[in-house]
Amino acid sequence: MPSTSVEQTAQVARQTVLIVDDEPTARIALAARLKRMGYRVIEAVDGKSGLDALRRERPDLTILDWMMPEIDGPSFCERVRQDPELLTSQILMMTSHDQPEQIAEGLARGADDFLSKAASKYEITARVQSGIRAATLIRRLEDATGEIRRKQEVLERELQSAARYVESLLPAPGIVLPGVQMVHAYRPSLGLGGDLFNIVSWGDGVLGLYLLDASGHGVSPALRSASLSTFLRRGNLLRHVGSTDPGSILTEANKQFPLTEDGNYFTIIFARLDMRTRTLSYATAGHNGAFLQRASGEFRWMTRPNLPLGFDASTVYVTTDLTIAPGDRLYLLSDGLYEVPDASGELWGQDRLEETIRGFGPRPLTEVVAGSIEEAIRWQGHEQFPDDVALMGVEVTAAVV
Amino acid sequence: MAMQVKERPVPNGVVLELTGDLTYANREQFKTAVEAIRQKGCRHLILNMSEVRFVDSSGLGLLALVSQNFKLGQGKVSMLKPQSYVREIMSLANIQKLIPVYDNEQDALASQQRAA
Repeated sequence: MPSTSVEQTAQVARQTVLIVDDEPTARIALAARLKRMGYRVIEAVDGKSGLDALRRERPDLTILDWMMPEIDGPSFCERVRQDPELLTSQILMMTSHDQPEQIAEGLARGADDFLSKAASKYEITARVQSGIRAATLIRRLEDATGEIRRKQEVLERELQSAARYVESLLPAPGIVLPGVQMVHAYRPSLGLGGDLFNIVSWGDGVLGLYLLDASGHGVSPALRSASLSTFLRRGNLLRHVGSTDPGSILTEANKQFPLTEDGNYFTIIFARLDMRTRTLSYATAGHNGAFLQRASGEFRWMTRPNLPLGFDASTVYVTTDLTIAPGDRLYLLSDGLYEVPDASGELWGQDRLEETIRGFGPRPLTEVVAGSIEEAIRWQGHEQFPDDVALMGVEVTAAVV
Repeated sequence: MAMQVKERPVPNGVVLELTGDLTYANREQFKTAVEAIRQKGCRHLILNMSEVRFVDSSGLGLLALVSQNFKLGQGKVSMLKPQSYVREIMSLANIQKLIPVYDNEQDALASQQRAA
């Protein structure tokens, strides 16, 4: 039997109890008792050295005397609860006069439990064990929280790296074709977005432009978007579609990108700007964010009711042609730009977006794009968009050949 | 808002009464309810949308998915009485091309008999 009891003692001995008491007789007696019970004991002779020991040793349990000079028991507790590093410490407060009001005050000021100086050996044992039990649970919780936080940081770093990759896929703003200027803004909601836009250089004064929106939230839409944008590269389109016609491109993309097993899909607008014939051709698949603002002031939303990609493999997407003139501006955008709620839940909406852009008049395209994003932010009252926001503005400049 | 689903058998089909929002947050619940009905061999699913206030982009995708899955088993999906806002969302995405919309149950049921 003696060997068993030694083992048990050795096990408990890892737990540390701090005793803070200015009165030597009581402190030494309690310390001796706790050591006999198998605990490692640290003694502090006043509140200040007690706080130092608490910070240094992080004991499992602190047993604290109420009456002490300078920092008394309740003040000690208050300081502990205000210190982010110490606030979860378990504190057992000792007092010689255990009036209910006093106990209430001690608990209110931060003690976890009470122990009368007149308590029996059994009660002391029971309260110390209960305090240690709580401390063990709290420590376990802290460890788990720390672990979750570390994993979260790793994930966030990975997401940021993926987000940088997605942003590296976006086209550089500027003159994208002689006589065609492009400006864009991109504000993914989670750092990593499911909205993507790009240009396809067909050569000979012809340019493809698209903006797509993958449904769903998180990493999966971003992966799917990157995959569709790979499909929409020039070489791939020439190989698999053999045409620069927007309708044919979407008809083929619709076959290549069926609904996912969770019912996720893309909406997209694909446009082709032919500067030789001054024609803007476009096709949309469930996408409502595109309009043409003519130099004359006419405003034309390029929407038509049709299925998003993947809804029905037999869908044939049709191309619409418009004539364009110098000064015309084409905007492709995600619905995340105008589907932003204000404090009362009212959405900014397409009409207000149109009004805003009209209000900018002939101001430079860069100002209009940045200003529209700012106006949406003003409407919602904060910087963080609930959904991805992408806006691409394209202007046919006057200097066309 | 959460969603409630209630299933009611009708001749040659099942009416699924939906209450609440058909959105990303409620996708699992909707999928589970519909899948259970399909596995029982139902050939005509009628979604009663009269108590659905809102359908988001995920909800649209689920409707398309359900329609595709029923079609694979020679079945079909119809929709009953969507509210005007939901009806507008549906028509912007042309969903009625996949899922016919009816204003009363008799018409929805009659469509099935004609199809059969």
